[in-house]
Amino acid sequence: MIGAEYLLIIALVWTIIIGLAWGLSKYLKKVYENEKTFLDWILNPVESFIYRIIGIDRNKEMDWKEYFLALFSFSIMTAVISFLVLFFQGFLPLNPMKFPDLSWSLALNTAMSISSNTNLQHYGGGSSLSYLSQMVGIQFLQFTSAATGLAVAVAIFRGFSGKKKDGAKLGNFYVDLVKSITRVLIPLSLISAVILIAFGIPQSLSGYSIVQTLSGAAQIIKVGPVASLVSIMQLGTNGGGYFSANSAYPLQNPSPLTNYLELGMMMLLPTSVIFLFGRMLGKKGEGRSIVLASYGLYAIDLAIALVPVFSLGAGMETRFGGFSPVFWTVTTTAFTTGSVNTSLAAMNPIVILSAFMGMIIQATPGGIGVGAMYMLMYVIITVFIVGLMAGKTPEYLGAKINAKDVKLAVLGFLSHPIIILIPTALAYATGAVHALGFGNGPVGFTQVFYEFTSSAANNGSDFLGTEANTVFFNVSTGIVMWAGRFIPILIMLAIAGRMQDRKRSAEIALRTDNLVFPVVLIASIFILAVLTFFPFLSIGPILMHLGGLKNAL
Amino acid sequence: MKVGKMISGTMRLALVLAIICGLAFPAAITGIGQALFPYQANGELAQVNNTTVGSYLIGQSTNNSHYLFNVRNDSASGVDPDITVASALAQAQVIHNSTGISMAYLAGLIHNNTHYSMFFFGTAYVDSLYLNIQIIDHFHNTVSVYGKIYNETGK
Amino acid sequence: MHFNQKRNRGKNVPPESLGESVSWPYVIKDSLLRLNPIRLIKNPVMFVVELSFIVVLLMTIAPGAFPHMAHQSDRVFYAYVAAILIVTVWFSTISDSFAEARSRTTAASLKKLEKEGIARRIRENEAGGRTIEMVKSSDLRKGDVILIEKGDQIPIDAEVVEGIAMVDESLLTGESAGVRKSKGDTVIGGATVISDSIVAVVNVNPDETYISKLVKMVESSERPKTPNEVALSILLLGLTGVFTIILVALIALSLLLNLGADLSVLIALYVCLLPTTIGALLPAIGISGITRMSKNSIIAKSGKAVETAGDADTILLDKTGTITVGNRLAHEFIPLGNHTERELAEAAFLSSWNDDTPEGRSIVELAFQRKFVPREYDALREGVHEEFSAVTRRSGITLVDSDDFTLPKGGREFFQRHRFRKKFELQTPLTEETIIHKGAPDAIRESASSVPEGYDETVTKITSTGGTPIAVSINGDILGLIYFKDVIKQGIMEKILGLKKMGIRPVMITGDHPLTAKSIAGEVGIDEFVAQAKPETKYQKVKDEQAENRIVAMIGDGTNDAPALAAADVGLAMASGTFAAKDAANMVDLESNPSKIIDVVMLGKQLLMTRGAVTTFSITNDVAKYFAIVPVMFASISALDALNILGLSPHIAVLSALIFNALVIPALIPIALKGTRFRPQSTMRIFLKNLLLYGVGGVLLPFAAIKLIAVFLVFSGGVL
Repeated sequence: MIGAEYLLIIALVWTIIIGLAWGLSKYLKKVYENEKTFLDWILNPVESFIYRIIGIDRNKEMDWKEYFLALFSFSIMTAVISFLVLFFQGFLPLNPMKFPDLSWSLALNTAMSISSNTNLQHYGGGSSLSYLSQMVGIQFLQFTSAATGLAVAVAIFRGFSGKKKDGAKLGNFYVDLVKSITRVLIPLSLISAVILIAFGIPQSLSGYSIVQTLSGAAQIIKVGPVASLVSIMQLGTNGGGYFSANSAYPLQNPSPLTNYLELGMMMLLPTSVIFLFGRMLGKKGEGRSIVLASYGLYAIDLAIALVPVFSLGAGMETRFGGFSPVFWTVTTTAFTTGSVNTSLAAMNPIVILSAFMGMIIQATPGGIGVGAMYMLMYVIITVFIVGLMAGKTPEYLGAKINAKDVKLAVLGFLSHPIIILIPTALAYATGAVHALGFGNGPVGFTQVFYEFTSSAANNGSDFLGTEANTVFFNVSTGIVMWAGRFIPILIMLAIAGRMQDRKRSAEIALRTDNLVFPVVLIASIFILAVLTFFPFLSIGPILMHLGGLKNAL
Repeated sequence: MKVGKMISGTMRLALVLAIICGLAFPAAITGIGQALFPYQANGELAQVNNTTVGSYLIGQSTNNSHYLFNVRNDSASGVDPDITVASALAQAQVIHNSTGISMAYLAGLIHNNTHYSMFFFGTAYVDSLYLNIQIIDHFHNTVSVYGKIYNETGK
Repeated sequence: MHFNQKRNRGKNVPPESLGESVSWPYVIKDSLLRLNPIRLIKNPVMFVVELSFIVVLLMTIAPGAFPHMAHQSDRVFYAYVAAILIVTVWFSTISDSFAEARSRTTAASLKKLEKEGIARRIRENEAGGRTIEMVKSSDLRKGDVILIEKGDQIPIDAEVVEGIAMVDESLLTGESAGVRKSKGDTVIGGATVISDSIVAVVNVNPDETYISKLVKMVESSERPKTPNEVALSILLLGLTGVFTIILVALIALSLLLNLGADLSVLIALYVCLLPTTIGALLPAIGISGITRMSKNSIIAKSGKAVETAGDADTILLDKTGTITVGNRLAHEFIPLGNHTERELAEAAFLSSWNDDTPEGRSIVELAFQRKFVPREYDALREGVHEEFSAVTRRSGITLVDSDDFTLPKGGREFFQRHRFRKKFELQTPLTEETIIHKGAPDAIRESASSVPEGYDETVTKITSTGGTPIAVSINGDILGLIYFKDVIKQGIMEKILGLKKMGIRPVMITGDHPLTAKSIAGEVGIDEFVAQAKPETKYQKVKDEQAENRIVAMIGDGTNDAPALAAADVGLAMASGTFAAKDAANMVDLESNPSKIIDVVMLGKQLLMTRGAVTTFSITNDVAKYFAIVPVMFASISALDALNILGLSPHIAVLSALIFNALVIPALIPIALKGTRFRPQSTMRIFLKNLLLYGVGGVLLPFAAIKLIAVFLVFSGGVL
């Protein structure tokens, strides 16, 4: 039984974040529904300028196909920019440490990783990326991929909330993207970055300093534009740290205070987006219901992870103690952020099991924007299965769920095990796992299975890290990350587009804005999503736990 | 050409945002950070006698733990300067035995600089580099002690 | 008040009981034929179970062909697994065969009604005269004119063009009373004419009659899937896909990581996880939904209509026939001015003598009961009857002295029933010519010479208590009012309460005065009504409700109702109604019982519920099956034993889970065929109840059942 003080910390973090997220959702609604905000005076001209440069009609409404096409082509474009910057970083400016170019497969993996909001890091950030690479190759994409998540969520919410006026479709991707950046991500990152600097995270462009330590040894102090990157990577549930050790590295996460700040930052927007859902529907109860389900799942994840006794040990940071790494590991997977403040190998296999659950479900509450999206996918499947039992054609938000919706949602649901299990088997079949020095035991299996689960869930936390910088893992995880990102987005945009024009029933027979629905949703997600992976979890983390095995540190 | 227009528009958008998010934003934050919190923004550099000897955030392993607090090396980052109070007290005994610095001083130093992983509870820890520099600063005028330590540490 | 379909409605409709008159040898034979993989492919879940059977069968025969995944020593076990797998498929085909056989039985009983008969076809000859030729009823074609005489069975659906006759439709509808059919009415093939004769125009070809259609639909195994069925099939296909990926990945990983899994065990896990229960029963549930409808003598033109009925938000109910029994009846005579009750009653009696409407008859009956039989009885013989007209809104009689007269039909029956033999004497002598009028109070007032005191007040009083006032005058002198009262149909209040509990809004449609309508609506618990409805009102109401995105169900019988029936999401036409109405509707009630619309909605709900319940049960069952098989899946890993919460040895675990998986199918056949039981409650409560029963129950039950089967297997000799 864990101490009450730990539960208190969890309760405190949750209360603060849920409160902030609730308040922020009011602002988000104003942003996406073109209401007046206090930033209009400066941002209206800036945005007009951007729209003029790119030559788009900001009033053009896009259907789901157009929206996806714009989103997908934009994501490709950002990945191309990132790839070029990383691949040619040796020739490019802002490289005071003179880091060489990344290999093609590593540059490709990284570009696909960051542009898909995964931030799986096969590169060592602090030891191989130039400032330009960190800023344009990584941080820029952390903004755009988070903004893409927000845009997707907003577009889907518009679809689910139905046609508000004539000619309304899912919105305009470019406008949603630009506003997400200018009105949401930049202001929040700016505030966060300054706070993070104040609490000790460096922000400098003057190059790493080499000092002579007290014992006379040379030491590199890896200062750089860290605070600006950390702020967006946590807020945008990207998770790609400036340093390889991520938020375990003291310069990225110097104290317990920054630790909980960063933890809260990754929770803020995904939670707020769910509240935004309720607000955009004009039915706050529906948003609350999803928040309850998401946080219920998150609570279950935490409860499982806190079963084994935690204590400060090898692979953990002294300043965070034994509890915070567990809390963080659960949270970073529950929100599919992927930043870590500990070595995952130091975590008890049961904590890893909990981390798997977060990445299998992807909606606990999941990544920025897409977490809400996955939850809606589960909602459709759940409402369809159990809703029939009420004796009516299943409806969600008054819209009847038809065969095509079920088909799309099931496809989205189906894609997850495919893109995890097939590459995992391939990794063994091609010898790529053995090339890393792993045998056939559960430890290696857990780590490789985790690698692909994390990639598919666009989480990015991993055991392998730079070890996985091999052509096989770079290419395979790259493909998995993009499939895991864009297939569900395509599917859910299609569902939203189809939902938008659908008639809404006047009377909702089976309410989804009560306490029963979140419970049903949680149960259904457990049976449909988690149990699907149960056989594989049983030969991975569960077997490690039962067999008393630990990850090698 | 619709597709062509879209692609060129998308490309221009990506480039504009690359400049805003990838260059302007970090530059602006750097400016603000350097102006408001230069110490933190530059990595909380630790100085002894106006010489930068490291960062308070990055641990230093000393090659002679008889005179200074040493870091643990099996952490996640491998570079954190923090050690638990229990470990610090054990090391203090060794330092006391070697240098003659009183236990009372060392224990007081540890006590006064103790932090907790959960703010008020949790793991109690101290920053080993901070303690070391405190010791060095404290005995700055005591040439023998300072010198001894300084020499022992390689200067 | 458990809802279950009505029992034993008509003589020929078999009572609801499983297996009655189903030929078991046929079912067995048909179900075995359905094991043919080519036929089975339409049911993907069962198809892959059969494929699994083939693989395990091959393992039994040649374990050597499966290196690392099959063992010579386990061949007996493989044989058991294979046997259980094929039995699982067989259970599924049995449920299909059984449901279809049952629906055929129902169809056959309806088909008997349509036996070949002789019809009298009327031919117009050149001279303009008519000749009658005898033809076989199957030779009749649409547009033929036929003569049906007393005692004839009506050969085919037709519309009366001449004559009035009593028709016995009890074979079709179960209602024993004869139905009067006159010009414009439709007569249904299979009914018998019991009095008089009629001339009718055949309005369908022999293979298009409603019964033919019903039989065809019920018999058809190729019936189109309903939207929810399609969606459910896709879900099942998707789940099959997910579990197939898991199976493939498990096989691959077992081989790559040397986990030593036996292929038969992995296949057993796969089959157990597949939604076999719902996969097996889905077709049967669909067929039996239609069967249940036809047992209620309702022909649904599509399964979709049945499902839509379950979704109804609003039901438009005709007051007459649905809420009240037929027509209103005279209840009280209220004399006004200085007239006595006797004067009023006698005048009313006289005015109604020739009035063959139920209202008219009820006046005569009430007068008789109260012993107000007029002495002017004789005068009736020469009475000149003034028919009710919509323009004057009154009817009347002009009496003159005369000698003989015949009793009108209603009167005759009435007098015979009461052995009425007495000769009456006039109490108040009539003048040479007396005109008695009865009709709507305002119509009578217009033609009256004076209006007695309290006339308007009494009218309002009667109206506001749900009654209908009819005024009676003699030669312009108003005698008073007759209080007509509606008789509420038995059991209608419970049904309406049930509807309301389920969140369905009943709306009463009536031509009555708003006050009358309000009173009746209030009496049966209906909150919303449309009074003084004109024929087009119904259509408008359907449209209004739909504009608010409500799903509307309604009944109708007249041609006037056709547009509304066509517009409504669920339109139930009465078989006794006009052809236009039946054509526009998506269901026809052979019993012509308007309150059946409520049963239709309940049946629709029950159908949806049954599908949802079996699906949920099927999916939640997986939890226990995971825990039975996963711990014993990999022979090389003993550490997973801690997960083995059922404590089963590997082979016993696999066989128990598989046996449970197979047995659930026949165990749920009764639910699939009869539908889940439910009582009218709010949707949320029904949902919660089913959730508890099939969701939570579906998680818990298999743990106990699998353990029990395992204990039995070990006990019964420990085959393995």
